[in-house]
Amino acid sequence: MPEENIYEDLSLVRRRANTVFWVISGLIFLALSYYWKIQIVDHKKFSDLAEANRTRQRALAAPRGLISDRNGEVLADNRASFKVSLIRENIKDLEASLVAVGRLLEIDVETLRRRIGQYKDLQQFEPIVIKDGLSSVDVAPIESRRLEFPELVVDAEPQRFYPNGALAAHVLGYLQERTPEEIRAEPDRAAPAGEMVGKTGIERQYDDILRGEDGKVIEVVDSLGRVRSETERQNPVQGGKVVLTLDNRLQALAEESLQGREGVVVALDPRSGEILALASFPTFDPNRFITRFTPDEWTQLINDPLAPLENRSIRGLYAPGSIFKVVMGLGGLGFRYVTPGTTVYCSGSTEIYGAVRHCWFAPGHGSMDLADAIKNSCNIYFYTLGRRMGIDMIALAAGRMGLGKKTDVDLAGEKEGLVPSSEWKTRTLKTPWYPGETISIAIGQGQLQVTPLQIAALTALVANRGTRIRPQLFKSASAGAKARPAAADGAGAAAPAEPPFAPATFESVITGMWRSVNDGGTGNGAFVEGMDVCGKTGSTQVVSRESAERLSRAGREIKTHSWFSGFAPRDNPRIVVTVLVEYGGGGGATAAPVAGRIFKLFFGSPKEVQGR
Amino acid sequence: MMIDRRLVQEVDWVLLGLVLLHSLIGVFFIYSSSNFLAGGYHVRQLVWIGASLIVLLLVLAVDYKFFVSLSVYFYGLTVALLAATLVFARFVAGTKSWITLGLLQFQPSEMAKIVMILVFARLFAEYKSAYLTTQHTLFALLLSGAPLILIILQPDLGTAMTFLAIIGGAFILAGLKRKAILLFLLAALVLGIGVWSVGLKDYQKKRVTTLVNPLHDPRGSGYQVIQSKIAIGAGGLSGKGFMKGSQSQLRFLPARHTDFIFSVIGEEVGFLGVLAVIVLYFFMLARMFLSVSKARDRAGVYIIFTASLLLAFQFLVNILMIIGLFPVVGITLPLISYGGSSLLTSYIACGLVLNVKMRRFANV
Repeated sequence: MPEENIYEDLSLVRRRANTVFWVISGLIFLALSYYWKIQIVDHKKFSDLAEANRTRQRALAAPRGLISDRNGEVLADNRASFKVSLIRENIKDLEASLVAVGRLLEIDVETLRRRIGQYKDLQQFEPIVIKDGLSSVDVAPIESRRLEFPELVVDAEPQRFYPNGALAAHVLGYLQERTPEEIRAEPDRAAPAGEMVGKTGIERQYDDILRGEDGKVIEVVDSLGRVRSETERQNPVQGGKVVLTLDNRLQALAEESLQGREGVVVALDPRSGEILALASFPTFDPNRFITRFTPDEWTQLINDPLAPLENRSIRGLYAPGSIFKVVMGLGGLGFRYVTPGTTVYCSGSTEIYGAVRHCWFAPGHGSMDLADAIKNSCNIYFYTLGRRMGIDMIALAAGRMGLGKKTDVDLAGEKEGLVPSSEWKTRTLKTPWYPGETISIAIGQGQLQVTPLQIAALTALVANRGTRIRPQLFKSASAGAKARPAAADGAGAAAPAEPPFAPATFESVITGMWRSVNDGGTGNGAFVEGMDVCGKTGSTQVVSRESAERLSRAGREIKTHSWFSGFAPRDNPRIVVTVLVEYGGGGGATAAPVAGRIFKLFFGSPKEVQGR
Repeated sequence: MMIDRRLVQEVDWVLLGLVLLHSLIGVFFIYSSSNFLAGGYHVRQLVWIGASLIVLLLVLAVDYKFFVSLSVYFYGLTVALLAATLVFARFVAGTKSWITLGLLQFQPSEMAKIVMILVFARLFAEYKSAYLTTQHTLFALLLSGAPLILIILQPDLGTAMTFLAIIGGAFILAGLKRKAILLFLLAALVLGIGVWSVGLKDYQKKRVTTLVNPLHDPRGSGYQVIQSKIAIGAGGLSGKGFMKGSQSQLRFLPARHTDFIFSVIGEEVGFLGVLAVIVLYFFMLARMFLSVSKARDRAGVYIIFTASLLLAFQFLVNILMIIGLFPVVGITLPLISYGGSSLLTSYIACGLVLNVKMRRFANV
């Protein structure tokens, strides 16, 4: 080494080096002050962010409350629905696993591979649902072979289940996910999006009671979303139980009695308005709304010309036919157009307003009073009475008997029907009322429209000799139920109002109804030994244009609708039965025997009921 | 090569102790942030520390003058390797910086840092005037430009920046005239704009824009900074406790045991831990930088300065980067972050400093 190196003047470079060092040191301590800001000044903010990062809330679905009939028979239950998921992380050999899993679950390997392929972007530990809607029986073989299939997990969720299938489907209603529009309309409703809520029937009416409170778990997750532990758990609470007024046996018989024909059977207790049976056919299986329809099934269901989803008892509008003669009789007596003894002579036909009108019984009924006119369902008598009363008095009587307005049953979607009047016609059709039209109304035809439940309520009003009831399905809810809906308070007492006519007014009409069933009248198909059934038949002759189109689409020949409505016993009545069979022909031939079977079962003669 | 007993006495054991201390701090937090991963990173790091220590001792055994004299050959070899890397290496995480020799994988760009330290020592050792002439400046630029461009092409932004820091430092030491500084700044500006619009990949641009607003891209490059700040901020004064940081244990923090290890320290031992590590690091850097007064010649001063600068610059950038004050450019925390290549480079740099320091009386 050259000597001069030792004495080399390095002070300049050393000074520069030191300067650079101190500049860097200054920067380092400036950085330290920023650490102070983040860690001390803003600590709370970042601490909250870290907490939000690591926890995740997951909802635990609550089972819905049960729905039972009046005897505790469960109509809507819950069952565990199982789903099987596959976790790829636990698989050693994907191909071998797919084959084995496919064989176990009876899924073909290609389908399985496609399903897994759809979710290939998910994290390896995320379960992929490969089969759902399984019963405990279905998953038993999987559970028993847990060790062989570490990649499979089975989860259970409570799911609505209607053990009797389509039984009382229109009463119970069905569940569906809320649509986005509904969520917008009721944003504060407690049901999370995607949850099933009651869409129709009792499921809808008492959804607030039936829906439980969902639970939640707060889980600690890592950055991939993998659950590490649980910090908090709130178990779900099942919804309250709703007991209905329905009687399971009567309901089953009512549905069976329709024998696959479109129609309605209503049975209710006239003393309280409690509905014992409410059948509407065709019907549907509400379970299908839970296990999901295939698109084809859904299209078929909603385009079915026979409209199985419609509850005909509250939404079907029909002309009441001869059943309306009960209203005519009450109006005639109540407004003093006739007395019980007033007679009219029926020769089989008569000329009114320049047109010849026929009775259904061509030879004629001869001379008869009101009770016999009802027994025989004589048209001539009521043509005569109708002419005397005029349309507006008829409308008044019908209104007093509850037609043209809702019965306020605890089911959504009820229709009002229509009672025409001169005022109504000038208002809506802008034409005056023609007296000839009154004659059609007098025998329950023309523009008159009623629902079967209105007829049942009307019949109860007759049976009670003027005491009104409101039909209802709600009997009670379990003590744990969150809120009692307003509609559930005080059964029949909720509709006091004044009686439409004095109690005595009803007696001749009831006599006519009794004779109709017990004395060789049109309703004798509903006769039950010793039960004093009183009833009235009806056959609607008018087919509206829409109905005709609907029928021809369904490939049906056009016949009259068949009605029967009655109660029993004559004194202190305990049951009202109303039957409507669409295109059933004469009311006496088709509807009355159906009612007869309901009466028999109700009064405890099961052997006769079964003889079909 | 015989090691003199007097030389052993002259080794700065305090500095060596500080280097080992930082390495051990690193091992603890590597363990904390990766014990739940397969791979035994803490064990591997310990092995790397052992190996690096051996290399450091070998570096001490040879007079730095000898290394300086060989620097021309090292330089040629490095440039050749860098060029070969570009051609032969496969893309790993978007860059071509790793080269495989048999079982060994290494980054020639790490080696280039050390080589440039020696090259500058050689280049400026004879240069005794107060300021650089244009001729010298251009030559030095040419010499350092070749490996720099090769590194930029990989592209490895972090290493390129570290490289630039060494070059800049050496020039400052050699003395830049005011006019030259202005010229450099202008050139840097023009180059910067040029590189931004032509050379930078989208992900790199994003890293710079993310610096301005991390929420701009919370799922991408902003994610790292956001998670890192959350971790550090949640640490508070005294931290969540060793191995108890939710951000690191639940893996919200990216690159926990490498680039973002200081975030783990911030989360688990809090501001007090951060303060302790920064103060310790400051002492170590001070001891390294201030050794320039012990260098017996100009080459020694350059070696100590550029080697110290290498560590100081990376340290500064790393602690700024993880709190969002600097773009995320993939610069590790020297001595503390996991990684053999970076550890070895740091140890060699420290070895060179110790080497110069212990041989201050070599000629006497």
